[in-house]
Amino acid sequence: MEELKKAIIEFAESSKKTKFYFKDIEKAVQKVNPDAKMREIKKACTALINDGTMIYFSTGSSTMYGLKGRGMTEDPE
Amino acid sequence: MAFEPKELQKEIKYEEIRIYSDAELNNYTEEELKNFKIKHDIPDLDDLEKGPWPSFVADAKQGALHRRKLADDRMLIDRDVIEDMLGQLQISFDEGETHWKHGGIVGVFGYGGGVIGRYSDLPEKYPSIAHFHTVRVAQPSSKFYDSNFLRTVCDLWEYRGSGLMNLHGSTGDLVLLGTTTEQLEPIFFELTHEMQVDIGGSGSNLRTPECCIGKARCEWSCYDTQDLCYELTQYYQDELHRPAFPYKFKFKFDGCPNGCVASIARSDMSFIGTWRDDIRIDQEAVKAYIAGEVVPNGGAHKGRDWGKFDIQKEVLDLCPTKCMWMEDGELKIDNAECTRCMHCISVMPKALRPGTDTGVTILCGAKAPILEGAQMATLIVPFMKAEPPYDNIKEFIEKVWEWWMEEGKNRERLGELIQRATLPKFLEVLELPAMPQYVKEPRSNPYILWKEEDVPGGWSRDIKDYRARHKR
Ligand code: HEM
Ligand code: HEM
Ligand code: SF4
Ligand code: SF4
Repeated sequence: MEELKKAIIEFAESSKKTKFYFKDIEKAVQKVNPDAKMREIKKACTALINDGTMIYFSTGSSTMYGLKGRGMTEDPE
Repeated sequence: MAFEPKELQKEIKYEEIRIYSDAELNNYTEEELKNFKIKHDIPDLDDLEKGPWPSFVADAKQGALHRRKLADDRMLIDRDVIEDMLGQLQISFDEGETHWKHGGIVGVFGYGGGVIGRYSDLPEKYPSIAHFHTVRVAQPSSKFYDSNFLRTVCDLWEYRGSGLMNLHGSTGDLVLLGTTTEQLEPIFFELTHEMQVDIGGSGSNLRTPECCIGKARCEWSCYDTQDLCYELTQYYQDELHRPAFPYKFKFKFDGCPNGCVASIARSDMSFIGTWRDDIRIDQEAVKAYIAGEVVPNGGAHKGRDWGKFDIQKEVLDLCPTKCMWMEDGELKIDNAECTRCMHCISVMPKALRPGTDTGVTILCGAKAPILEGAQMATLIVPFMKAEPPYDNIKEFIEKVWEWWMEEGKNRERLGELIQRATLPKFLEVLELPAMPQYVKEPRSNPYILWKEEDVPGGWSRDIKDYRARHKR
């Protein structure tokens, strides 16, 4: 779990983007950690949401994840 | 394993959580309403009030007047929200462009859905709607409410929101329109802790499942729609609140093919009650209908005289598969040809009833137009039993999700993925054999492509042997 959380944060910090679809996070994590299962990655994302490291961004129809305080403000673009 | 609640449902203490007195709720006269003008000029909206139809503008003006007359400390967001909402709408009509900004990071703690951020892009002009977020509240199965519950939701929303709501959204939720970011957590707390109701789904997750009235009131329900809807809602809480799907996903549950929640058109996975034995026929009641002793259609449409009931014209000729006939005064049905459309049963409910070996048909892929045009669901599982704890149904759902989450592109609905990957591929993933009924019409999906392992001998052949039988 800690390993996956680290991989997620590293990916999010190194990317030029500030918002990520879950699928893109999943792919990035599996690149460094090929055995990581989708459900475990989702659990790691949820843990990062719960401890306040990440936040959800939603348009109402689709949802993305981002690091808190990095580029994403409460306002939409 | 069926869902088991961790704690018992608390009794809701309505008298303690109601906010407004009757006098506060009825705080203006008809005369005041007639003379009431909101603070913005809204000629096009005023026009929408004309005519015999109900109008959201008329409703909104009532809300606006009500807020004008409430005491200052009796509402926590701006008094003017409704007036500003109407004012901005008039500008949008003038310019043909929306002034709502879409999306944001609003949400409530730990939930990835249920609260949808909306912001005005004219906050200087319409300051009270600078934040105007939507909250979705999950409806109870089949929407059985206690009026105390509805009054309490209305109170809460008047106090902490705009008071504007729309019942019900496409997923069945109560949709509460317009509040500020600061009010979200208190609203969430009061809904979940005091009123024992959850917020619904939005974004890339499972949306609030919805069912018809089912066995609670309807004799045609072929399975317990409320039970299945509730079970899957509880069982898939994680999918509902923590988005990780490529896009939205909806379940809807119709107890029979009459489809009162229109699951076939409105859900990614549609469950429609059906039966696999024979339609039950009471021949005496058939005769009573023919003799005019019982009104057809359960008495619906009886406002005018349609003439004498004609079983040939009204039932037999309208059977889509023409599998019914009269023989020696008795009604006969070739059940193998019956497509379970419910027509004959709906016309003669006293004489005909669904069979007793009941279950569900599962269809996948309906959606509104987004990337591609609108699409109805495609039949995938013709029949499956639907009994607690529904392990067979859960197993099916999870196979579908696993494939869609693996193969689906961002913002691709299940129906679009099936189109892109092909139906035969979907069937292969689900380990279901193809059947002729999957072919809608040869022009649009004619081909089942064989794979080498499906064909005896594979792709290789003995060319000499072949030429011995077929000349060049
Ligand atoms: C009055 C006589 C005929 C009428 C009204 C008629 C009508 C049609 C129609 C409406 C189609 C469907 C076209 C489509 O949906 O793309 C069709 C397809 C076809 N017809 Fe006829 N047809 C007639 C005679 C014939 C005859 C005499 C033959 C062969 C000797 C024939 C061979 C075909 C074939 C092979 C197709 C399939 C063509 C394709 O799908 O590309 N038809 N016909
Ligand atoms: C060695 C002989 C033949 C070859 C290589 C051949 C090849 C083809 C090919 C490649 C197509 C297109 C299939 C597609 O749309 O994917 C086709 C279509 C067709 N062929 Fe042939 N064909 C042969 C003989 C015949 C014969 C003998 C007949 C009629 C007596 C025939 C009638 C047709 C018709 C009606 C179509 C259109 C089918 C449709 O679009 O639904 N073909 N053929
Ligand atoms: S869908 Fe069928 S079972 Fe459900 S309420 Fe309508 S008629 Fe009754
Ligand atoms: S249910 Fe529909 S298809 Fe079946 S016998 Fe009645 S009318 Fe015909």
